[in-house]
Amino acid sequence: MEFGYIIRRLLSAVPTVLLVTFMVFLAIHLVPGDVVDIMLGTQNYLTQDQIEELYREYGLDKPLIVQYGIWVKNLFTFNLGTSLRTGKSVTELLGERFPVTLELAVFSLFFALVIGIPLGIISAVKRNSFIDNVVRVIGLIGLSSPSFWVGAILIVLFSGVFENFNLFGYVSMSSNLIDNLQVMLLPSLTLGLMVSAQILRMTRTSMLDILTQDYVRTARAKGVNSRNLIMKHVLKNALIPVVTLSGIQLGYLLGGTIVIENMFALPGMGRLLLQVVNERDYPVVQGIVLFIGVLIVLLNILVDILYTVIDPRVELR
Amino acid sequence: MLKILRRLARNPLYVISLLLLLVVVLITLFPGLFAPYDPYKMDVEAFMSWPSWKHLFGGDQFGRDVFSRAMFGVQKSMIIASSAIAISALIGTMLGLISGYLSGATDLVIMRIMDSFFAFPSLILALFIIALFGSNMVNLVFAIGLVYVPIFARTVRGAALSLRESLYVKASRALGKKSLSIMLTDILPNVSSVLIVTFTTNVSTALLTEASLGFLGLGVPPPEPTLGGMVGQGTAFLLSAPWVVLFPGLVIALIVLSLNILGDGLRDILDPRINR
Repeated sequence: MEFGYIIRRLLSAVPTVLLVTFMVFLAIHLVPGDVVDIMLGTQNYLTQDQIEELYREYGLDKPLIVQYGIWVKNLFTFNLGTSLRTGKSVTELLGERFPVTLELAVFSLFFALVIGIPLGIISAVKRNSFIDNVVRVIGLIGLSSPSFWVGAILIVLFSGVFENFNLFGYVSMSSNLIDNLQVMLLPSLTLGLMVSAQILRMTRTSMLDILTQDYVRTARAKGVNSRNLIMKHVLKNALIPVVTLSGIQLGYLLGGTIVIENMFALPGMGRLLLQVVNERDYPVVQGIVLFIGVLIVLLNILVDILYTVIDPRVELR
Repeated sequence: MLKILRRLARNPLYVISLLLLLVVVLITLFPGLFAPYDPYKMDVEAFMSWPSWKHLFGGDQFGRDVFSRAMFGVQKSMIIASSAIAISALIGTMLGLISGYLSGATDLVIMRIMDSFFAFPSLILALFIIALFGSNMVNLVFAIGLVYVPIFARTVRGAALSLRESLYVKASRALGKKSLSIMLTDILPNVSSVLIVTFTTNVSTALLTEASLGFLGLGVPPPEPTLGGMVGQGTAFLLSAPWVVLFPGLVIALIVLSLNILGDGLRDILDPRINR
């Protein structure tokens, strides 16, 4: 039964994914000028025949809808095109850069959960107390702060406290794990703090929802002690929406690390995106944006499926 | 309106954020009144100077007054963010009304397109549009505006969908009123409170998007002062002149925080369903 649901859910994403590809494709073609113009730049020393040859090579002489068809067909074989500058394939570039972004996103989510959930629980249990108000204000500040500002504060603080702390200069996980973790600490903490604001708000709201339900009152009346009640009866149900939010946040983290990657000079996907945007390397821009879009759609489906696994009350359609 | 203000006045937190936003509006209208110096003028003596009474936020890497630049930066950011959200509200509300009221195939098509927008983080989408069309103030407004259309479309659609079945809308339909006029005169006024809340909270996220684009060097090009741009260009000197980065960042955070607090307050007042 669940297998059928998973298949149905995956199929339902097909139109969205197709629309995403169509939007990305069309957007690139709305730009004045085309790939050939960009390649030629200002030094146009080719003859008319040679230019036409280039157009044929890139398939630009065909109608737009045919070009789209070819492009989508290529996507199925993971052929996302080649960089205009380096000649490397977009897939290859993504393969190099994505692991850095993934590591950053996973660590950030870890920090977000470790900080956000306990604060959310305390806030809900001690509702309307001084602690609750402090936590809520912290949450609002977290939602309101630009990530680069939080990052800058952390850099200034850390460089003041630890003199020999390696802040910049990326080291890959495979070459030296300890150095890698050191370099990743501040960027992940920055993003983790940002996301923890949302996690704590969600945990608080969801805890409050559950705490007012009849079964909790019954348990209280039966004399279940407070600590047990929260840990065994409330938390389990209250964290279900938090799981969903985490999944969604992971998706946004994967696409949203661009600011932090640039701030900390991490060679991830976001840094690559900014670089190719500045170089007008359109095939790579297109490839990365598409990759992020599809990734997020798939992650959302995964969250939906996970939801039915952890919460048996959810009806499968 | 007055009633809303009176209810907001009961909570000191709302009063503070309202006052702060009032100041922000004044800065946006008359930045010159608040800035003690010319934001472009370079002064050797102020070069990376510590914050002092003379230069409240210190001096930057070109010897410009950070406070004065921040004031003009507030103006740019506010104009871009609020016009962008005005565009999203306009387009999003129209799409939401059409989608929710007409429902059926139109609804399906519009909402599927909106869904595909949600597949991208707002910053990536805005960056993509800027990458394609170049960065100047008008393009920034349209890029950010477009990114936030789906939020308005979804919110308004939800409200329109439920109002569609209400008795007074059915009565209007029975009286032979045209769809367009039902949407504009019967449904739109009833979604206005939802719209106000959505507008307030999204101006704040649009400010963050604009600042992030500025930080990445894709905002209004220098030497124009923008809050995000100041941080972006100052990051290289973060450890020798942290004030160049920290103060503009603080200004953004304060404005966004006030808008978020106000948004929460308005939601409590205007939406009785989530009154807890």
